[in-house]
Amino acid sequence: MPQLQATPEIDFQSETYQDAYSRIDGIVIEGEQEAHDNYIQLTALLPDYKDELVRLSKMEARHKKGFEACGRNLKVVPDMVFANRFFADLHGNFQKAAAENKIATCLVIQALIIECFAIAAYNIYIPVADDFARKITEGVVKDEYSHLNFGEVWLQAHFEEVKAEVEAANRENLPIVWRMLNEVETDAHVLGMDKDALVEDFMIQYGEALANIGFSTRDIMRMSVYGLTGA
Amino acid sequence: MFGLIGHLTSLEHAQSVAKELGYPEYADQGLEFWCMAPPQIVDSITVTSITGQTIYGKYVESCFLPEMLASQRIKAATRKILNAMAHAQKNGINITALGGFSSIIFENFNLQKITQIRNLTLDLQRFTTGNTHTAYIICRQVEQAAAQLGIELSKATVAICGATGDIGSAVCRWLDVHTEVAELLLVARNQERLGELQAELGRGKILGLETALPMADIVVWVASMPKGVEIDPDALKHPCLMIDGGYPKNLATQIQHPEVHILNGGIVEHCLDIDWRIMQIVNMSIPSRQLFACFAESMLLEFEQWYTNFSWGRNQITVENMEKIGQVSVKHGFSPLLLPSG
Repeated sequence: MPQLQATPEIDFQSETYQDAYSRIDGIVIEGEQEAHDNYIQLTALLPDYKDELVRLSKMEARHKKGFEACGRNLKVVPDMVFANRFFADLHGNFQKAAAENKIATCLVIQALIIECFAIAAYNIYIPVADDFARKITEGVVKDEYSHLNFGEVWLQAHFEEVKAEVEAANRENLPIVWRMLNEVETDAHVLGMDKDALVEDFMIQYGEALANIGFSTRDIMRMSVYGLTGA
Repeated sequence: MFGLIGHLTSLEHAQSVAKELGYPEYADQGLEFWCMAPPQIVDSITVTSITGQTIYGKYVESCFLPEMLASQRIKAATRKILNAMAHAQKNGINITALGGFSSIIFENFNLQKITQIRNLTLDLQRFTTGNTHTAYIICRQVEQAAAQLGIELSKATVAICGATGDIGSAVCRWLDVHTEVAELLLVARNQERLGELQAELGRGKILGLETALPMADIVVWVASMPKGVEIDPDALKHPCLMIDGGYPKNLATQIQHPEVHILNGGIVEHCLDIDWRIMQIVNMSIPSRQLFACFAESMLLEFEQWYTNFSWGRNQITVENMEKIGQVSVKHGFSPLLLPSG
């Protein structure tokens, strides 16, 4: 039986680590900003849920501040230009869906895909984070489950009418996620996060969300790997 | 509800099963993909006991493949097992058996240290290795198949290959206490553990594999290794009963000799058909009735509502617990797989 190799010690102060961290931290900050803006924008589409959505958006703003502090703690300036470009396609798709009043598509992008990805990334990051960032991230991850839940509950309640739209949104946006992941694979690896672990955690989270909404195991297996090969 | 955590035997096998079950997205994928794939519940199971009691279970495919160990993808391998366990627990399964390499990986890589899986705390009471029942069934196979071949245990030498393992040591204890076996040959790699086992039993010869095999009337093979070893059937005693209780089972394909009788070890037959698809996939000869004894252990624990990790840790299987699980095994209609008659 092969043996588990010890994980090498991470030097949080090394140039390589800090360089990679500038992009990853940038993405996380931008992701939280996007999430904040998206939940605010959703209040126009879902006025009945305004209070809940505003509460979620405030949570995201708080997370953003937390991750900015993580960067300052390591004396790293987050690369926001990179981060902005990184989210451009998902941002564009959300804006397009919002303009067309496609609530289900907006929820798939923000409340399922982005949240599941955030949860997966944070869960994989926690064991390899510096002490300061670990505490912040542990707090954030607890909150993120409640965002996921908001999208799940709405989509579940409207499952029959939105099923086809959810599938279409999945087809359109999941390949973007795989491409985004490939873009930061090397940086994530420097931080001690492996791509296969990230993808697996994402698929577990996303699969559970799809199951809660009402999709069958067969649907989930098909949907959650959409576009993964060739990515 | 009971659960079974299983996996397929190779990448090629996984690809063909995915194709057969109608998952084209999984069918054409390489090892890299399986390293990323999440666990799935792919079968629902209904089992009826001869007492008339009916229980329900689920089969969790962990997406682990033995190639992950062979290619040093250890992190992926351990992740598969922990994620499958978390999946079983999240789905409300009361007692789940860790089949195939699952329990070996759990034990070998000390996974009991990791109990927090995302937002879930693993409750290890809900899992069993199933090794107590496996060890019991292998012992019954030794006793009954020896009788089939006319080998008298009181005159027989039995070699246990993998004697210091969880199942191997339990088999040694049972054979010592419950049978008249003339001689026990203890074969394993770790000399220190062999010495401890010999001291515990107060008997048994410690020998190397090459020395032990030609002396044995019965060989119990309970070593688990991704690759098999070469065994020359001409160098064995004739007749020789070989019980292949290792994982994966590969003795029958490499040893073909009219006087060497290979029996798949740790396999039980149920007296009634079980409603499931999964045993077809793992190539059992009678898929509706035959299954791994470790899986049957979770069924027995469910029948009896013994919601506890009946088999856990290393070398803690007692003869008393083997008797206890053996009694309920018989009660619910399971029997050890034997040699074909005639």
